[in-house]
Amino acid sequence: MVAIAIARQTVREALRRRVFWIFLIVAVFLIGLGPVLGFLTPKESQTIMRSLGLAVILLAGLFITIVTCIYLIPVEIERRTIYTVLSKPVQRFEFVLGKFLGGFAIVFLSIAAMGAVFLALVYFQGTTRGPDAGVLVWLTSGKFPKEMVLGVVLTFFQMMLLAALTIFFSTFATPVLNFFMSFGIFIVGNLSSVTESLTTSKNGLTSAIGKIIHYMLPNFGNFNVQNAIIHPTTEISNQGVFIRNNIIYALIYSAVLLILAVIIFDRREV
Amino acid sequence: MAAAISIQGLTKKYVDVWQKQEVIAVNNLNLEVQEGEIFGFLGRNGAGKTTTIKMLLGLVFPTAGDATLLGKAMGDNSVKSQLAYLPEETYFYDSMTGWDLLDYYGRLFRIPEPERSRRVQICLEKVRLQKDAWRRSIRGYSKGMRQRTGIAQALINDPKLLFLDEPTSGLDPIAHAELREIVASLKDEGKTVFLSSHQLADVEIICSRVAIIHRGKLLTTGTIKELTAGERTEIVVQGKAVTNGLLGKLQALVPDTERTGSDTLMLRTEDDDKISAIIDIVRGAEAHVLSIVPHRRALEDVFVETVRREEASA
Ligand SMILES: Nc1ncnc2c1ncn2[C@@H]1O[C@H](COP(=O)(O)OP(=O)(O)OP(=O)(O)O)[C@@H](O)[C@H]1O
Ligand SMILES: [Mg+2]
Repeated sequence: MVAIAIARQTVREALRRRVFWIFLIVAVFLIGLGPVLGFLTPKESQTIMRSLGLAVILLAGLFITIVTCIYLIPVEIERRTIYTVLSKPVQRFEFVLGKFLGGFAIVFLSIAAMGAVFLALVYFQGTTRGPDAGVLVWLTSGKFPKEMVLGVVLTFFQMMLLAALTIFFSTFATPVLNFFMSFGIFIVGNLSSVTESLTTSKNGLTSAIGKIIHYMLPNFGNFNVQNAIIHPTTEISNQGVFIRNNIIYALIYSAVLLILAVIIFDRREV
Repeated sequence: MAAAISIQGLTKKYVDVWQKQEVIAVNNLNLEVQEGEIFGFLGRNGAGKTTTIKMLLGLVFPTAGDATLLGKAMGDNSVKSQLAYLPEETYFYDSMTGWDLLDYYGRLFRIPEPERSRRVQICLEKVRLQKDAWRRSIRGYSKGMRQRTGIAQALINDPKLLFLDEPTSGLDPIAHAELREIVASLKDEGKTVFLSSHQLADVEIICSRVAIIHRGKLLTTGTIKELTAGERTEIVVQGKAVTNGLLGKLQALVPDTERTGSDTLMLRTEDDDKISAIIDIVRGAEAHVLSIVPHRRALEDVFVETVRREEASA
């Protein structure tokens, strides 16, 4: 399929960018720092390592996703490679679909790489008190804790949604503008508890605006289950349904963004 | 013969929102290009050539007007499998190799393997891209190698109709001649070529018909022969006996006759049949014909005259 060929080419070009590798290498380095920090504070070692790891994956994922996806379409227009693509029997929706799939693949590769390093460390690292009180011995936990795996998986879907948003913006916004828009919406979308409280405001206007923001903007906050995972006191009543709903939400929202992107790009002169 | 390209009233206005300015890049263009022609599309910088091609390929949208390509409405995706486009400045995916680039474009045409590899090889050979460059990244290609890759990319789908926007600009004389021959050879394969070029000498050699546009408007169109018609011959006569009598006799035959020195005359005629009569008169008068030089009008002369005339009247 043509969109797949375009997606492959998109990934290939994106992986040639230095900034992608810098973020990825720094992130892996920081994740690797987790056990070291944990060793220094044995009591909290597991918590520190896990929260640091997930936070790094989220942050690095955030930057990699935005800096990569803001360029996927504009770079083809700027370098005019798009002329040779769209003059061939390639429909514009196939081009946009290829870019979305390529963007998702890049997000997948980076989260998978960081997640693999993180989960490997979680698997191997574990300290416990030895028979002599006060002596620490090295133990491997010997398992992939379910919550950590889910944390990584949900971060992937969160970044996938962000990638869709960024690529959608790139069909009409310049990369610099897009950077701030995507970043801003990611932050606002993470404050879902705040925007939710706005919807119930007594002031009609505030509540209307709150509703628009809360229900229109992608609800990025829903994917942040680190808190729930790391502090088991906060309960999520039905984890399975919660996760499934989030994944479905990411897929449907991305599909809507794809359709809007196609509608806009169809009218765009290149 | 069927029309490969038929353009009716094609118009493109660019509006600059900030400066509130309007540029009419293409203005009510009507044009027909027949199948099997190599058609030269000429005009000064900014005349609207590239804009016309981009409209035909659906890259920008016309403000008004319409066109058909190979009988299908422009922008129809189904006709694109028979089209080729070489953009005026060939930016490619620099980090790819020439081979991979053509392979990618082959995929976009949905050419399956092993046919695709076969096509890639045929095209790279056809444009004579040196073999050791096939697997090197395009970043290290010279201008000529890029241009060859660009033409190879345009041939990957064995197209029926090619849009070549300045395929021979900026090349060394040998590469230039080679690429010109490659373009000329497309005619023998029955392809139609829409060629935008500033290399009028090339156009004169390889094109059957041309159109000249200026500020988006079509000034003239016709075969090279029609446009360069009006060949002129200059005859210089010399002798002791260049009298006013001889001058008078010659002027009666050729009005454009003038004395250019005490013993020389210059005659200019577009009628070759008069030459022998002139020689007879000169012989009888004890003078002699020093030179007979035919002056063909070059396409360049026609182009300059046509555009100048338009600019003067504007
Ligand atoms: N995207 C655009 N926005 C605004 N004006 C444009 C745009 N593209 C082209 N123009 C204007 O349209 C006119 C025609 O440009 P075009 O590129 O078609 O000329 P051309 O004949 O191809 O010239 P050249 O021989 O230099 O390549 C020019 O005045 C140009 O400035
Ligand atoms: Mg041009």
